[in-house]
Amino acid sequence: MENNLNQNIFLQQFNESDAIAYNKDFTSGVSDYNFQILDNAYRNTGRVYAKLKLAIDSNNCQDETCAYELSEIKHLQEAPQLSLDFISSLLAELSVTDDPNFDPNNDFKYTAANSIMTAKPGFSKSDGYNVYLDLLPGGSQQIVFTGPAFQEPLIINNTALNALNESNTSLVAPTPDINKDMLRLLTEVGIFSPDMVGENGQLTAGAKITQEYVIMNPDGSFDYEIIDIGNGKGRNILKYDLDKIEKKVTPFINAEVAGLLSSEQDAVAAWNVYISKGASVEEDDQMVQNANAAASSWSYTEDLPLMQDKKVLFEKKYKEYFMNNYLKQFTTNQLPTVQADAAVFDLAEAKKAKAQKFIDDNNL
Amino acid sequence: MPIGAGAIIGAGASIIGGLFGSSSAKRAAARAAAEKLRLTKKLNHLETHRQAVINPYEDVKSVAGFATDLSSQMSNPFANLGVATQAAEIQMEESDLALAASLDTMRATGAGAGGATALANAALRSKKGVAANIEQQEKSNEDKRAAGEQQLQEAKMAEQRRMQGIMMSEEARVQAAQAQGKQFKFSAKEAREQGEIDRTYQQLTGAAQSQAQARADQTGAMTGMFGSLASIGGSLMSSGN
Repeated sequence: MENNLNQNIFLQQFNESDAIAYNKDFTSGVSDYNFQILDNAYRNTGRVYAKLKLAIDSNNCQDETCAYELSEIKHLQEAPQLSLDFISSLLAELSVTDDPNFDPNNDFKYTAANSIMTAKPGFSKSDGYNVYLDLLPGGSQQIVFTGPAFQEPLIINNTALNALNESNTSLVAPTPDINKDMLRLLTEVGIFSPDMVGENGQLTAGAKITQEYVIMNPDGSFDYEIIDIGNGKGRNILKYDLDKIEKKVTPFINAEVAGLLSSEQDAVAAWNVYISKGASVEEDDQMVQNANAAASSWSYTEDLPLMQDKKVLFEKKYKEYFMNNYLKQFTTNQLPTVQADAAVFDLAEAKKAKAQKFIDDNNL
Repeated sequence: MPIGAGAIIGAGASIIGGLFGSSSAKRAAARAAAEKLRLTKKLNHLETHRQAVINPYEDVKSVAGFATDLSSQMSNPFANLGVATQAAEIQMEESDLALAASLDTMRATGAGAGGATALANAALRSKKGVAANIEQQEKSNEDKRAAGEQQLQEAKMAEQRRMQGIMMSEEARVQAAQAQGKQFKFSAKEAREQGEIDRTYQQLTGAAQSQAQARADQTGAMTGMFGSLASIGGSLMSSGN
């Protein structure tokens, strides 16, 4: 698993870096990407088609019904469209490996296959790679990738790929756009008033949590926290009832997680790339991959389908991720909404006034 | 289209363009399908985990217990009215004594029998009048006591009725307030949950439209390849012939 991870990270880094441009052997050599997948696949089909046709016309079939010959002709007639559909489906699947938040725990062979199909430097015929399409008896087709990155040929059958696609499963797990999901979730958890949501469906720049969740004194005034901003100065910041906020947002987060778990492989990708170690989307993609895709990652081959304990853990960590990376910014260092309370003040005087108030309130 | 894609696949430009267009559309369709599935699950979760419909009046209890039968506290204040028989007896005794004393005096003074009778009658009338007066006073007192007792009992019952009324109305008010509170809480939560359900449903509709659009794009891209497909088929046929 770790080897796969390292292979994938290496391939991604290799594809993203410009290092190969400075490799003299590469720049001086031939890069032949002339794989001719369709040309090679259909090179002999004309002859086969003609033989079958002649057999039928000359009444020289394998049996008197010519069932085999008719069936094979039908397959050949359907084959070109099937090939194009297969290749386009495969390109769609492999393109996931180009996503910036791609989970390197996916099989690295798909990254290599995508590099071949998209003619990335270092994956040409000259570099030892090859790809060919086989038209199999019975009408199915397969694509085979070979080359230095593959210990064994990577074989993908069109019927298998179709079956996966029909059941909303992917060959390569895409990583959900957690940033987009979390920004949307912020507007849905019910702690911001609707007028804080902009036309783009996200919170506006000055959005604040509604006053219902701000801690107040019994007399109705705000219970501020005083922070030291240096040079003997301080200022008030709002205090929030975090328990109340958590109680409010939890049902909405649970619903979000239930939706995310509709595709467990996507959830695994989200776990590996972001959730397991709470890596922020603001962090560099590579740092995220290095940080997350390690011991705490889940395997697509071993951990699917997800057991209940993993689902529970996912829900818990997803909530933590939301609270720490998205909600926290709205509950920390929030200036008072009352203009007069928002001013910077002398910290020593404020402390003295506070002490005096305590003495007065308690008749000391 | 990536550089060299035509060579990789080994087909004409229109096929390659169609292939990559189709693959993009397929990816978009897959994304939209996944989004649709995600939103469907989310919607199901929201619907199955929404609060149960409550009866805000389920805790309302009958306040009939506060109503007590006050009839046991009632009594007839006239039931024990005294009958003035003693006064009659005294009157009789006093009349007898007065008559005897007058007769003794008449005997001593030598008065006739007619005078004695008249005296006796007068004494008797006098005693009767006194007795009647005493009885009248006693009855008047008894009536006043009864009337006072009646007023007292009426006042007591009125106070108890007042207290009972306050307790019943206060209990009813508290229960109504509790019911209204529950109703408010339910409505607020229901509105919030329904809002999220509505939002998710809208998103789901959007995802379904995206999926349909992506499929249409895919079909369009594939259609563009059909002309080229015909050439493959044609070359296949011609090489066979």
